[in-house]
Amino acid sequence: MHQINRRRFLELAGVAAAGAALPCSVGAAIPARVVVVGGGFGGATVAKYLCMWGGGKVAVTLVEPNPSHIACILSNLVVTGALAMDRITLGYSALRTRHGVSVVQGRVTAINYGSGKGTVSLSSGTSLDYDHLVLSPGIDFIPPPDSSWDPNLTPHAWQAGPQTLLLKKQLASMQDRDTFVMTVPRSPYRCPPGPYERACVVADYLKRKRLNFARVVVLDANAGIQAEPIAFGDAFNFTYKGMIDYVPNATVASVNSQTRSIVTSAGTWSNVRVLNYIPNQRAAAIDPTAPGRGWPLLNAQGFVPVDPLAYGISGFPNIHVIGDACALPASDGKAVPKSGHMANAQAKVCADAILRALNGEAPDTNVTTNSACFSPITSTTASWLSANFNYGDIYDAAGKVKGKGMHRVDLGEAPKTNGDNYQDMFTWAEGLFADSFV
Amino acid sequence: MSVKVISSKLLLPCAVALAAMPGAQAAPPAGQLLAAQCAQCHGTNGNGPGFDEVAGKSASELRKDLLEMKRRPVENIMDRQARGYTDSQIQLIADYLAAHSGGDH
Repeated sequence: MHQINRRRFLELAGVAAAGAALPCSVGAAIPARVVVVGGGFGGATVAKYLCMWGGGKVAVTLVEPNPSHIACILSNLVVTGALAMDRITLGYSALRTRHGVSVVQGRVTAINYGSGKGTVSLSSGTSLDYDHLVLSPGIDFIPPPDSSWDPNLTPHAWQAGPQTLLLKKQLASMQDRDTFVMTVPRSPYRCPPGPYERACVVADYLKRKRLNFARVVVLDANAGIQAEPIAFGDAFNFTYKGMIDYVPNATVASVNSQTRSIVTSAGTWSNVRVLNYIPNQRAAAIDPTAPGRGWPLLNAQGFVPVDPLAYGISGFPNIHVIGDACALPASDGKAVPKSGHMANAQAKVCADAILRALNGEAPDTNVTTNSACFSPITSTTASWLSANFNYGDIYDAAGKVKGKGMHRVDLGEAPKTNGDNYQDMFTWAEGLFADSFV
Repeated sequence: MSVKVISSKLLLPCAVALAAMPGAQAAPPAGQLLAAQCAQCHGTNGNGPGFDEVAGKSASELRKDLLEMKRRPVENIMDRQARGYTDSQIQLIADYLAAHSGGDH
């Protein structure tokens, strides 16, 4: 341990007090320590808002393995070459200099889930003590059942960065009569419209490159399109008729990255030019070798159940999980989506609840979160999706109240796919990037 | 917060001083959390970057705009978003943004 922990500091202060009167302000001014793990949209936003709203009452440390975050948002446009990587690369300098967040580049190896207080161990050998811990680690991939899967050969590009560039390179290598086969993971997964958006912009790219008989096969593990069914249904049936084969209920049995082949319950595709296998997903592991992958609690789908007001784990009131890794109680068939925008929304609710808890207050119950996003359909047009979730009663499929949670009160997609939406997409991303990282 | 190691003689005055510190125990301003949900698209505290600047509008203008979007047929994304909030939430959001936008952040 390279730093003075809080108890040690208090002990030192106590020794000082024996010789001279301890000024009250010393005791009162020691800020509560909040450690945030994961510097994506959830982690960056919660760190920023804790500092902004905390008024010096909290000392926030953000732990992230990478020097900057590469957003999945807009990354399909990097795959097609429409945008450069720097447009989706988000640094941490404003969090440091503008908001006073202590950003530590490092990897978490273990968490001691202490009762009341605990410790986070880092790969560097140092450790961080916390009063509250916010975990926003994102997703891990569930390997296919029977496979020789290697994402360095067949990229998922569902975590942006080198994977995005690899898929871009493979797409650029496509020739006449080549096939691009991609999968849609079983729900819930990160960014519900994302895979359909990718199918569209890849088809658009092949069309603009004037390749003959090149096509896209979309193997969906689900029974139907998971988001914006009108916009994507129209795109598949009309805009890209004959170019995109949409195959629902395709459960993956095996993947061979060497031969770029995939076996599913809906058929087998072998030796395709590009295999963009996007695996099923679960909460990112804290420690892949530990029981429960380092989590104290996981649901059947591998995500972390949390309460809808403070994002706390049951039995661990000072441990909070936000973003794609968490699972919120919601009405049946109306799950809260996993996305950067929603992670930002949740981060603010979590920050507010932590600051209230430090003041001895209960979380606010007047909570609404929103999801909004824009999806490119072609290289000049886009659609949008909007959803709002209100804290209150949640319902089962029969319409009976089943408890409290985040109930979806509104959902809708753009009435039209058009060029204005395409321009708005960049305004939306610019706002979201800045609200989270600047 | 652990105060175990601080002697009990110091504890009471500290607690008094803490309570008296400006803002130390203050509840967050009403509407702050709800209005923060606008920031994803309109910038932190409505100050951009993002869609139409919220900063500079009065509470009554913001409330009128939001209620109009909520009740008209859906054309734009805000027509949907406004439907996600109750009228009393819209009032809280409008009051907060009118009072807090226009600053550094």
